[in-house]
Amino acid sequence: MIEIRNIRKSYGGYPVVDDLSLTVKSGHVFGFLGPNGAGKTTTIKMLVGLVRADGGTIKIDGREPHEQACREQVGFMPEDPYFYDRLTGMEFLMFCGQLFKKSYRKPEREYGEILKLVGIHDARDQMIATYSKGMKQRLGFAQAIVNDPAHVFLDEPLDGLDPIGRREIKDIIKKLHADGKTVFFNSHVLADVEEICHEIGIIHKGRLVYAGDVKQFCNGRTLEEKFVMAIGQERNSSMLTL
Amino acid sequence: MKNIFVIAKNTFRAAIRDRILHGILVFALLFILFTIFLGSISLGEDLMVIRSIGLAGMYLFGMIITIFLASSLISLEIERRTLYLILSKPVSATELILGKFVGLFAAIALITICMSAVYLGVVWYKGGGFDAASLASIVLQLFETGLFIAIITLFSTFATPFAAAMYGILVLYIGHSLSILLQYVQYRGAALNTAAHIVYYIVPNLEKFNVRNIVVHDMPVSVGMIALAGLYAALYAIVLLYLAKHVLGKKDL
Repeated sequence: MIEIRNIRKSYGGYPVVDDLSLTVKSGHVFGFLGPNGAGKTTTIKMLVGLVRADGGTIKIDGREPHEQACREQVGFMPEDPYFYDRLTGMEFLMFCGQLFKKSYRKPEREYGEILKLVGIHDARDQMIATYSKGMKQRLGFAQAIVNDPAHVFLDEPLDGLDPIGRREIKDIIKKLHADGKTVFFNSHVLADVEEICHEIGIIHKGRLVYAGDVKQFCNGRTLEEKFVMAIGQERNSSMLTL
Repeated sequence: MKNIFVIAKNTFRAAIRDRILHGILVFALLFILFTIFLGSISLGEDLMVIRSIGLAGMYLFGMIITIFLASSLISLEIERRTLYLILSKPVSATELILGKFVGLFAAIALITICMSAVYLGVVWYKGGGFDAASLASIVLQLFETGLFIAIITLFSTFATPFAAAMYGILVLYIGHSLSILLQYVQYRGAALNTAAHIVYYIVPNLEKFNVRNIVVHDMPVSVGMIALAGLYAALYAIVLLYLAKHVLGKKDL
């Protein structure tokens, strides 16, 4: 379970995440939505221990994100990932896998299976510098699941993918859910979020606007319509406050 | 410990595949071979010229390669966010810094060995036999390289690649000029003297690793001197890498 309690983060005195509380049950697929600059990426970075919150607590299965034991069970894919251009896809994936205790001695064959799953097995021995954006996105996804994590955090996992690629990654997310993994991801593609998420959280200017069931939130409308309405209402109420 | 090895292996692999590095190395090897010609026009002082220019050339190219590779060691990873992929895994800042240091040092050591093999071959070809004294100079150069990598690694944790390179070059220059600096300020007032002494004790004295003049003039280099220089480099590097780990650990990525 992922428990976020009253976390806050400021940069240069400006609050980016403001008193955010959220609970994501284990095994659920959770979509974290918000307009640009809302604090989604900062939140995910706090969840995976890249950034320390100024206040509040984060617990993943009872452990804090910076604990090594917690990170053994976590996979993370950053937005628009960069890689080491002078390594091949297989070399990079093996490098990532060997940083975990449980996948340190994984045979090369198993890394090959992961690359097959994300659809870049044929390019495994090519330099990453030759990869397209979509291939890099798939490699980013592969390194996020290389340690068979219990919790997977994905920042814009469908960005840059063609419709076939998006379908394949969505199918992998569904498979992860079927295997009992928790998937927490940011996305601007609301149709995809509506399709695969059980629950969503909507954040605006660092504050949580909604957290809960997708269908309940949509209430007969599309997620996009309801999202735009919700953010619009938030903007209006903050203008009234001013 | 295993993470240090994994990161070192990855850093080594990525470094030795850099094409710009290959270009610099080829140029360095050609330069060392060119000393054969320079020696032949030296009116009977072939070996002295070859050793003098050969050792200086190896040092110069070694430092150029070190600056080129080390200045972007951490900062480029922060800029390109490749560090997100590593530090979100069960890897500590200490393991990352040490792994990067060991991997880069191994790559530069390999390059230095390649240059040394050609240099020693040239010396042997010109009748100098096996040049053990030059080997001592090369070992000390490796110690200095290790220390210099640690210096630039520290800069790389908070400066851009260009700035880290510039700071590194500045420290390299000052580190080789400390004795001259102290002599210069000796009679120029207490304040300047104090400031110079502070710089003297903070900046590593890189002249400790420079025995090229001794070697060129066929004077012996003691094992004790090499050992002390190695200890000096190791202790300084440990402090610098600790500071680098501390700076990186405090960073919000």
